[in-house]
Amino acid sequence: MSTLKKEVPKLIVMVFGILMILGSYTTIPIFDTLNAELTSWTMTISAVSVWLGAVYATYANYQLYMRNRKEGIEHLIYFVVPFLVFGLQFGAGILYGVESSQYLWYFAHIYTNIGAAVYAVMFFTLASSAYRTFIASSWDAFALLAGGLIYTLRQIPLFQAFIPGIVGAGEWIMLVPNVGGGRGAVIAAALGALALGIRTLMGKEATVTEGA
Amino acid sequence: MSILRKLGKIDYRWLYITSLILTAIPLFVPIGLSVTLSEPVKDYYAAIQALPEDSVIAVSFGGSAALLDEQEAQFLATWKTIFSLGHKVIFYSTTEDGPMILRDHLGKKVIPEDYGYTYGVDYVELGFSPLGEPGQASFAANIRGVYQADSRGTPLDDLPMMIGFNNFENIDLLIYEYTSCTDIEWAIRQWTVPYQTKVIATTLGCCGPMAAPYYPSQIAGFLSGSGAGTELEVLSGNPGPGAAMSDSKSIGILPQLIFIAFGNIAYFANKFSKEDEQ
Repeated sequence: MSTLKKEVPKLIVMVFGILMILGSYTTIPIFDTLNAELTSWTMTISAVSVWLGAVYATYANYQLYMRNRKEGIEHLIYFVVPFLVFGLQFGAGILYGVESSQYLWYFAHIYTNIGAAVYAVMFFTLASSAYRTFIASSWDAFALLAGGLIYTLRQIPLFQAFIPGIVGAGEWIMLVPNVGGGRGAVIAAALGALALGIRTLMGKEATVTEGA
Repeated sequence: MSILRKLGKIDYRWLYITSLILTAIPLFVPIGLSVTLSEPVKDYYAAIQALPEDSVIAVSFGGSAALLDEQEAQFLATWKTIFSLGHKVIFYSTTEDGPMILRDHLGKKVIPEDYGYTYGVDYVELGFSPLGEPGQASFAANIRGVYQADSRGTPLDDLPMMIGFNNFENIDLLIYEYTSCTDIEWAIRQWTVPYQTKVIATTLGCCGPMAAPYYPSQIAGFLSGSGAGTELEVLSGNPGPGAAMSDSKSIGILPQLIFIAFGNIAYFANKFSKEDEQ
């Protein structure tokens, strides 16, 4: 059982990983074809994983509800409402088709507005957290505050009109220190990903079989 | 000193209510402040302008309905710019919301037929596919490997524009729309590096700093946030929703800035009073 759970996944990752590398770094046609075929598989896998995720989410929420059902109705609401919304959207899509005026009405007048409202609620969190934490309590915090403020002011037409030089300063922050720091971070992340990839291909990355 | 220290303990609800009021005012009384154009936006526009006549643009559309307020100005100004120049367009969506947004835009707000376009000849809409990075690679290498038919169910071979058209070789420019900040790397890894396809990008305001490291070498230009959408409206001469949003942002941000100043004043007042006591 242990071999099936631990060694087989490692073997699958190694075989497919090596095939993908050969497809990318050699000009042998068979590897090229395999590379293209395997790449298209990932879309099927990701589509299936959406349903798998829905099953897991349902099960997890059901367990949460069963654990907390004596504490009040809110847990029932958390469990039921997402399914009602999903059912409404899925049902409209199945019954009328996604091209139908009913489905488009639902999308334009309910789904879009709920999404925008949820996103807009973040404003309150961001505004109050900026008030609490955008404090120049150290040189690092001052750098963050100054960079953030200058870039923000550069984005706002009111300040572009009334603060001379704010546009140039904001552009400079975006395109000079930000680019330098960003490229450094990307290179570091790429090297980390390379090391992780090699460890995975060698079967030494424990997270591949985590939980087995 | 105690008044200064109290500035750090103001009820957040004052911040919320003043922001809401000030954001709403310009919607009723537009201010019409001028907009300064940024280099990434100018280069984004220049990349479309520089295309020869009858070029083909692929639009990888990852728009989200929830985030539409921040990006709609970018999208509408982009569609108007492309259609006014007469380039052919392939739209393909990488998010579930994508086809719905495009249907709304191309069906009601910027109708390609008004610019003399014919569906299937001058533009196609391929619909949604859960592409991700491997999907972008597949699309660039073999479009029919991902889409056998368009969003209306018409086989690609029955669309005049798609005959003999199956990969990056036929695409002159990729407009890459995304809302997850690191996804910009997908376009660079799967289009720019292997095929040297010219890429420009549209994204959220918060993702702009993560796109900047790739500009202008890997991505020729980018739009980040509603401000960039407003700039493109001004640059391309296509007014849209960005202008009203721009005024609201200008005034609505003021309470936020004042509260940040209050927070800092209170912090230093606290700090200095403690030092005095010692």
